[in-house]
Amino acid sequence: MTEPSLTVAVIDPSPARAAILEEGLAAAGIARVVILPDTADLSARVAALNPDVVVIHVESPSRDILEQMSGLSRHVERPVAMFVDRSDVPMMQAAVDAGISAYVVDGLHPQRIRSILDVAILRFNAFARLQRELLEARGELADRKLIERAKGILMTAKGMPEEEAYRLMRRKAMNEKRKIADIARAIVTAADLLG
Amino acid sequence: MRLALGYVPLVDAAALIVAVEGGFAAEEGLRIDLVRESSWATLRDKLALGLLDGAHMLAPLAIASALGISGPETRLAVPLGLNLNGNAVTVSRPLWSAMDPGSEDLDIVARAFGRVARDRAGQGRPLTLGTVHPFSSHTYQLELFAARGGLDLEAAVRMVVIPPPRIAEALQAGHIDGFCVGSPWNGLAVEAGYGRIAAFGCEIAPDCPEKVLALPADAAAASVGLVRAVSRAGRWCADPRNHDDLALLLASPHHLGIAPALVRRALAGTVVVDADGTRREAPDFVSFGVAVERPRIAQVDWFLERMAAAGQITLTPALTERARALYRPDLYDGAIG
Repeated sequence: MTEPSLTVAVIDPSPARAAILEEGLAAAGIARVVILPDTADLSARVAALNPDVVVIHVESPSRDILEQMSGLSRHVERPVAMFVDRSDVPMMQAAVDAGISAYVVDGLHPQRIRSILDVAILRFNAFARLQRELLEARGELADRKLIERAKGILMTAKGMPEEEAYRLMRRKAMNEKRKIADIARAIVTAADLLG
Repeated sequence: MRLALGYVPLVDAAALIVAVEGGFAAEEGLRIDLVRESSWATLRDKLALGLLDGAHMLAPLAIASALGISGPETRLAVPLGLNLNGNAVTVSRPLWSAMDPGSEDLDIVARAFGRVARDRAGQGRPLTLGTVHPFSSHTYQLELFAARGGLDLEAAVRMVVIPPPRIAEALQAGHIDGFCVGSPWNGLAVEAGYGRIAAFGCEIAPDCPEKVLALPADAAAASVGLVRAVSRAGRWCADPRNHDDLALLLASPHHLGIAPALVRRALAGTVVVDADGTRREAPDFVSFGVAVERPRIAQVDWFLERMAAAGQITLTPALTERARALYRPDLYDGAIG
């Protein structure tokens, strides 16, 4: 896809996600990709930029601003319309699931919009996956620290070696069908209260 | 049954929030997840795509969604109205000074507004007013307010949509000169020192239908329990004895996240209109309960008239018929009867 004539505006409360989308669209051959800050004067900024397509995150409150610009007001010179291809509900579903909504200038060919949306959906999903992995990694790190603390508490309280302390927690977790981190948390909480 | 219901954080989502948090839904055997949405467009789309099982919705947006003129055409049913009124027109302090109506009387205020708006348009610097969505009672109330002051709003004023959380910022920066919005946002703009409430929605259009419960049409028949729960919650909200509790619930961080006193004043209809603390009473400032619930076809007709006047639709008998089919007093009667 090479679209040297198109200007795409990107509006997203997350600067990191906006940057990832910008890069993706540029790599796909969109000549001009502009990230617009999600601020109170967005309406004027969109009007000044005059983009062919606006890609906006669905959680942005500014979506309603674009609705006003969508040809329902006599003051808008170049109205945008929400991109809804009625024949393609799965496409819209995929976009909303990924967190995307798109507005296009009236008259732009649907196929050109589709390819832009495809890139956006791929990028947004990749971003969400990365974020999830990061969160999980953080959670695992926190769990590991918790387990270390609980192990230390058991070793001191019961005078047992490290390995045995860990085995004890694991057996408890398996018997109660809970995660070992949950058992560790209970031990740490109890030690805090009793200590 | 487990349902996901969408709402936009506003005082008039009260009946829906209370239905869930006050246990009325549980008594009907329903488990409900409330989903807070940050824009009407996203709420509408999620309802259209089946990601939500129902929503707190601007009445005219539900009509526009059903007609396919806002977002994808969606088969919806409205078995219940959530409230009447609740909006106000707030202007910037400089605009209020220029208007200088010397009165709270609606006609005098509207004429003062019309005079300044015409002057500004004549100087090539038209006023900019904010609404919350093109398909909203707010848009139509601004037009009626202007008309009352002898002004053609579309001709003399620039209209923009402004997300309510940005209102104070936009007023302060001079991006807008005034706006029409629901509670608690007018009170917040006054509190922040940037706004002056010029007129109440209930004065501009008495008993104005505001938010409705919108459901997918194919699920509406099975909605008896939900309609009953929201109706009972609405009656609870209407009882002044519950207003302290209601204000605390709505103001909490996971709903509106503001000072409870602002919600409390809107519920009581005792509204602080300026930074000096001037109070005005309006018992109908926002209304809940049995008197507002039954969806009436006349309300659809009124909105269609307003939409046509705003140039959003061209009225035809077929369109009127499709819009009217959205409102389902039969479902309300079946559930509440």
